[in-house]
Amino acid sequence: MSIAASVLDAVRAEAALQGGGRVTRAGLRIGELSGVAVESLRFCLEVLVADTELAALGFEIEFAPWTRRCRGCAAVFRVTDARPACTACGSGDTEAAGGDQMELSFLELEEP
Amino acid sequence: MLVPLERKVLNENDRIAATLRQRFQRNGTFCLNLISSPGSGKTALLERTLAGFDAARRVAVLTGDIQTDNDARRLARYGFPVRQISTGGACHLDARMVERHLTDWPVDELEILFLENVGNLVCPTSYDLGEEARAVLLSVTEGEDKPLKYPATFHHADLMVLNKIDLLPYVPFSMELARENARRVQPEIEILEVSCTSGEGLERWNDWIERHL
Ligand SMILES: Nc1nc2c(ncn2[C@@H]2O[C@H](COP(=O)(O)OP(=O)(O)O)[C@@H](O)[C@H]2O)c(=O)[nH]1
Ligand SMILES: [Mg+2]
Ligand SMILES: [Zn+2]
Repeated sequence: MSIAASVLDAVRAEAALQGGGRVTRAGLRIGELSGVAVESLRFCLEVLVADTELAALGFEIEFAPWTRRCRGCAAVFRVTDARPACTACGSGDTEAAGGDQMELSFLELEEP
Repeated sequence: MLVPLERKVLNENDRIAATLRQRFQRNGTFCLNLISSPGSGKTALLERTLAGFDAARRVAVLTGDIQTDNDARRLARYGFPVRQISTGGACHLDARMVERHLTDWPVDELEILFLENVGNLVCPTSYDLGEEARAVLLSVTEGEDKPLKYPATFHHADLMVLNKIDLLPYVPFSMELARENARRVQPEIEILEVSCTSGEGLERWNDWIERHL
C-alpha cells in the first residue's frame, strides 16, 4: 500500500513537472528483487486511484528480471531458480546486475 | 504526449536515507537494520546484545511496531536509550520515521544504532533506512526455504543470523540447506548461527558488530 501511494505521488509530481496535463497512462518497471509483488501492487493502485482525478489512469507494469553479470566472460544472464552461476560459461564468479528496479518509466499526458 | 522517465518510486525515501547515512558516517555511528518475520527473535537478540554491553557504551535502539510498545519496554530494561516507532498500520519502517524519531536525541554521539524493523519478511526490504548494514534473522522453526521464497529480502542483506539453534534437536531443519539457499540468492552474505536462549554463538555475533565499529 505504501509503495502504491508513493507511485501516485511520483505520478503527480512528474505530471506537474510536465505542465500539469491530465495523465492517461503511466509505465512502471518493477524488478524481481524489488520486494514488490506486481499483482498486489496493481490491486493497491486500483483501490487508491478510485474516486480521484487519476481514476481513469491505466498502468502498464513491466517486469524486470533478476540478472547477474559474469566476472569471467562478462555475460549478463537471467537468474532462474536462484542459480547464481553463469549460464554462458558456468563460472560461479558472478555479481548482481539488475532486478531491484522500482521506477516510473513513462507518463502519457494530454496537452495541458 | 509520451514522456519517458526513470524516476525511482521511492526517491523521497532514498533521499532521506542518504542524508541519514551521511550523518551516521560522519559521526562514526554503526547503524544496523534488523529484518525478520514476527517472532524470529529480533528483540531477543537485541536484549542479549544490550545485556552484554558495558553501561558506558553509546548504544541506542529504535524499534518499530504496528501497534504495541512491548518490545521497547523489554529493551529499555538494559539502561540504554530505546525509542518505539509506532508505524500506525504500516508493515515496515521508512527513512522518514527513523529521521523523525532521532530528533532531540544524542544521535551524533552514538557508536551503534540498532533499528528493529517491523516483523515482516517482505515490505521492509524496499526501504533504505540509511543503515550501514542489514541483517536478516531466520529462526530454525521457519524452514530452510525462506531465502528462496523471499529472494529480495535475502539478496539485500549483508548478514543472515540463523536463530534458535537450541531447537535443532526438535525441528526438522537443515542448517546446510539454509546456508546454501541464502548463498544462492546472495553469494556474498555472511552467516551466523546463534541461540538467544542458550547464548550459543553470540560471541561471534558480538565480534561481527565490533568489526563494524
Ligand atoms: N527457543 C528459543 N526461543 C527464542 C530464541 N530467540 C527468541 N526466542 C523466543 O521467540 C519468541 C519471539 O522472540 P522475539 O524476540 O519477540 O521476536 P521478534 O518478533 O523477532 O522481535 C519469544 O518467545 C522468544 O523468547 C532462541 O534462540 N531460542
Ligand atoms: Mg520484536
Ligand atoms: Zn561466464
